[in-house]
Amino acid sequence: MSAIVSGFVHPTLGFYLLALMLPFLPGKTGWKWLLLVPPIVAIWSVMTIAPGEYGQVAWLGQTLHFGRVDKLSLIFAQVFAIMSLIGMVYALHVDDRLQHIMACVYVGGAFGCTFAGDYLTLFIFWEMMSIGSTFLIWLARNPVSTKAGFRYFLYHTIGGLFLLIGLILRYKSAGTLAFDHVDPGHMMAYDWMIMLGFCVNAAVVPLHAWLPDAYPEGTVTGSVFLCAFTTKTAVYVLLRGFHGVEALAIAGTVMAVYGVLYACIENNARRILSYHIVSQVGYMVAGIGIGTAMTMNGAVAHAYAHILYKGLLFMGAGCLLYAAGTTKLDKLGGLAHRLPWVMVLYMVAALSISGMPGFNGFISKTMTIAGAAEAHRTWLAIGMEIAAVGTFLSVGIKLPYFAFFAKPANDKMELRPIPLNMYLAMAMGAALCIAQGLYPDMLYRYLPFAMEEAYHPWTTWHVLQSLLLLGFTGLAFYLTRDIITPHAKTNLDFDYFYRLIGRGVLALVSRPLAWLDDRWTEAYRAVGLRGLLAAGRGTAWFDTKGIDTVVDGSAYTVRNIGVLGAKVQSGRLQDYLGLTAALALGIFALVWYLA
Amino acid sequence: MSLFGMLLNWLRSKSRVLAWLLFLALAGLVAANLFVRPHEAEYVFDAYPGFWAVFGLVVGLAMVIVMKKIVQPMISRGDDYYERNR
Repeated sequence: MSAIVSGFVHPTLGFYLLALMLPFLPGKTGWKWLLLVPPIVAIWSVMTIAPGEYGQVAWLGQTLHFGRVDKLSLIFAQVFAIMSLIGMVYALHVDDRLQHIMACVYVGGAFGCTFAGDYLTLFIFWEMMSIGSTFLIWLARNPVSTKAGFRYFLYHTIGGLFLLIGLILRYKSAGTLAFDHVDPGHMMAYDWMIMLGFCVNAAVVPLHAWLPDAYPEGTVTGSVFLCAFTTKTAVYVLLRGFHGVEALAIAGTVMAVYGVLYACIENNARRILSYHIVSQVGYMVAGIGIGTAMTMNGAVAHAYAHILYKGLLFMGAGCLLYAAGTTKLDKLGGLAHRLPWVMVLYMVAALSISGMPGFNGFISKTMTIAGAAEAHRTWLAIGMEIAAVGTFLSVGIKLPYFAFFAKPANDKMELRPIPLNMYLAMAMGAALCIAQGLYPDMLYRYLPFAMEEAYHPWTTWHVLQSLLLLGFTGLAFYLTRDIITPHAKTNLDFDYFYRLIGRGVLALVSRPLAWLDDRWTEAYRAVGLRGLLAAGRGTAWFDTKGIDTVVDGSAYTVRNIGVLGAKVQSGRLQDYLGLTAALALGIFALVWYLA
Repeated sequence: MSLFGMLLNWLRSKSRVLAWLLFLALAGLVAANLFVRPHEAEYVFDAYPGFWAVFGLVVGLAMVIVMKKIVQPMISRGDDYYERNR
């Protein structure tokens, strides 16, 4: 095992080993403690490893770089490791092993992408993430999530194909699969292709609609993982490969504003939070696009803080779903006195995402905005301030107000008691959100880019400005609380157009192409079959005379294999995906072992 | 109901008082803004006291009113339009 010999325990290893072991572990619940092992190993690994190149494996004439460890990959891996621990604690009560296996496949994929030094390795783990995350949606096991999972997988397959096409063309042209920064002034078509693939996963508007479509339908615990890893892995690869690309600066600011506008009118709590992922990732993408050391550090810091508070927000909304069975705000309300700690822990996250002084959003969001202003990107900075107002409006006030207050105290609604581990996980997230807000250096010391002068969030003016902005946003909510009341509606987004494209393809396949196929089959019957029959008669003589005895034995073997193959080919995408993942894992383990 | 839950219910019954406390705090913040100013204005207008108060209020009001009253009636459909309800 080259990875361990060279001194770096790749975090993916632990997660994939656990994924392979889980189906075979005996007992009903005793195995659950093992869920905590890979995250703890991952935290230990990223906290102790020195930067360098680890774990290179030669495969099919390529060198796969599994372990590019530098400051940038380490800070992302660090927060991934912490979040994986919180997510696993939150999911400890779940008995469904498949959910844990898929969470491991997904999280392991995120680590693999983070440490990948070349596009091929990146692509492999990119697709593992796509498979794992799709299952985290499907495993909610209801018709809605089944459909949402298919749509999600379709988008991500298309995004993955962009990446694949880009990296193949790049290899043809540049002769290398190395994954390094591309000079924004000299980007080729294949670079744009790769960036487009990344942008699908980063939910860049208008490629974003998969996110608010799918994340609200995941399992209670699965969505907590989903909200942390896919978009932030995309942020990481964009930052590594494409910082300084002007298109990203503008697209990011558009995302920041677009997300809050939709969240403002949305009714489903988890969909509101999903739109706020689009918005918050917008800050990061904008910071990457502006490309100064300060805005890029801001993007990294914000990704770190965002993973913690967004995980906490989804855990809070997950508690509502778990206890009340719905996250629709028009059906909730008046629950504060019955779920007081859920509300308090949710509010920690809500104040964090809003950038309230004392919470970690305050030390990360302001860094990107101040960096944008300092780089004289005034309009971008103003766009981000507008998004900040919208964030506090929707996530900070609207969601908790209509979920926990709004209606008179609701004693009738039946609530399922929430397991202790869910509270514990939320408390861990909340503690980190507050600690980072109070001691910014906890986060700042890991920032990868050297800045000319350090950024200090805790100045009197920054605090006052934030309080003014948020306070008067609160006043705006107070004045419009009867207007902003959520309504049970479906708000059309860009997925309306995706669906049109889908229907168009379906129509093309089912009408003209099916017609063509029919004609072809007929022609084949008329011409091809007759020819084949004639040839068959000729060979039949030879067959009966000579070969029968020899071939019969192997024919039976082939038939038996065929029966097995037919069983495997159930026609269900879920089965194919599972098999593919299992096969890939097996090959991967074999290659790793042999290398 | 837990003690904490009862406390929350008691606070809810005092919402009028809480609203006045909010207004008072906001007035206090604007007053503080008369004395505490940014070292250098980033957007010209933010040198004036109360800029961020006006910004937050106006953007917040505009966002809610425009999105809920104008945009949502145009882009919203029935709750089960995409059949994603359970």
